[in-house]
Amino acid sequence: MTTTSPSARTPEFRLLATPLVLFLLVFLGFPAIVNLVYSVSQVSFETLRSPQLSGFSNFAAVWNDTSFWRSVWFSLRFGALTALLECGLGLFLAIFLSPLIVKRSWLLAILMLPLMVAPALVGLMYRLVLHEFVGPVPHYLWIWFGTGVSFLGPGSAFWTLAAVETLQWTPFALLLFYMAYQAIPADIGEAAAIDGAGPLRRLWRIELPLMAPTIVAALLIRFIDGFRVFDNVYVLTGSGPGGATASLSIYIYEAFFKQGAIGKAVAASVLLFAASFAVLYGLNALATRRKGATA
Amino acid sequence: MITALRWLVFAVAALAMNFPILVTLATSFKSARELSTNPGLWVQAPTLANYLAVFQVTDRLNIALYLFNSMVAALTGTMLAVVLALPAAYAIARGRVGERTLLPLIVNLRAVPLIIFAIPLYMMFQWLALLDTRLGLGLILTIVNLPLALIILVNAIRELPAELDEAAQIDGAGRTRTLVRIIAPMCRPAIVTSLIFGFITAWNEFLFGLMLTTSKAVPITVGASFFFAASGGGVQWGVASAVMIVGALPPVLLGLVMYRQISGSMTAGAVKG
Repeated sequence: MTTTSPSARTPEFRLLATPLVLFLLVFLGFPAIVNLVYSVSQVSFETLRSPQLSGFSNFAAVWNDTSFWRSVWFSLRFGALTALLECGLGLFLAIFLSPLIVKRSWLLAILMLPLMVAPALVGLMYRLVLHEFVGPVPHYLWIWFGTGVSFLGPGSAFWTLAAVETLQWTPFALLLFYMAYQAIPADIGEAAAIDGAGPLRRLWRIELPLMAPTIVAALLIRFIDGFRVFDNVYVLTGSGPGGATASLSIYIYEAFFKQGAIGKAVAASVLLFAASFAVLYGLNALATRRKGATA
Repeated sequence: MITALRWLVFAVAALAMNFPILVTLATSFKSARELSTNPGLWVQAPTLANYLAVFQVTDRLNIALYLFNSMVAALTGTMLAVVLALPAAYAIARGRVGERTLLPLIVNLRAVPLIIFAIPLYMMFQWLALLDTRLGLGLILTIVNLPLALIILVNAIRELPAELDEAAQIDGAGRTRTLVRIIAPMCRPAIVTSLIFGFITAWNEFLFGLMLTTSKAVPITVGASFFFAASGGGVQWGVASAVMIVGALPPVLLGLVMYRQISGSMTAGAVKG
């Protein structure tokens, strides 16, 4: 516990934090204000510098846009499904493979490799992997099972994208869980073993509860990343077929760059900002209360 | 017996998760003729022709330039983030400046979809003539890198004994001098970790590269996707694969060499953030 007297808040400390604060004001504070102003204005690329206040018509346009709600639904489903799959697979692999990894840590490097590659490049790589003529997956499916699947077609695009995301980010969950698993003190398991608890019982009653905070954190991080997904979806399907795979990020991007609907794009950004703020605020409040309860 | 099963699971998991990388690597060594007959993983007659073609500049594609852009923008975004975060981390950890406001704000930034700032930033960059510049992209990558850099550095400084500062204070050194002379050298491992992590994140960024650059400052993640669009229906898969391998190589090599530091900082960022 470090105790710092109030006199330690010298002006020099404030000065040291100033560059960061200024940087944030320019690159996040100013854009946030522009967002708010433009969201209640009528703007186009011609009238960028003289927006006309127009009330909440932009928000109404977004609110009544079925493709907005479709993209919200896509992002929620995509985030929830991939977070659950990644954490489930990651947890199994972390625990089942830990006897191998403990002795040879370089195995971890092989499993972590997908995390180092840009999601956009991984998405492009799957264009090759799934290609009907040069891709190995359709090739072997045809040779071994005699069937062809349209991986990015209307019925299957969502599942293909979820699989692509899951395969790339399961290593992240695996890594967090492996670290948490290794951090469990060995004597806890030994004591339970002496009391006659089998491995499965120890896992369920002791190890998993001890890893619970990490599991919750991993689920949360992966949900957020899946919810805001852009790169791999954009390069694999754009938003197609027929807008079926537009995430919220892609909705905002297309409203701005493809349709030139600045007001709509900005209003959707503000809604997303408000939603993230509400969720984060709620989580922080929850975390502080729990800390207060256990202290 | 169970050990054999573990090895089997490891092999299947490693193959499944690295599958796109392996396929692309194999394809990058195939000749155009082999590509049309052999979609499998095995390369019959390996050739380097695709890699030589990567660096041939055409009027629409310039892979060497894209790599250079990625390098400059990623280094700018990585180093500027650490330069801004280190003094602020010191002020937060020791001076308790912004501990209740600045720190949670930046930490939460990691969970905010950054696209919500993209449109105003696009307009701002238009006014400032920063669109399609490496500096502009580097500034955005700084924002992307700041949260994790700050968390790593605050944690590192909090772990240093306070007596270090006090001794320096008694010797008459100001805070800035203490930071430069004592704190920064002691935090070197944390600084290196933030730099590695930041570089990988920045190199792999796609969304802002796509929005804020068009030709002169295009990074490789975006340039590689041009490659698919530019060649119309007939993508040259061999060359495209070589481009993707070359584009993935810098962060992958860095990651493989430094994977211990990375795994540690990922855990720290996840659990303490």
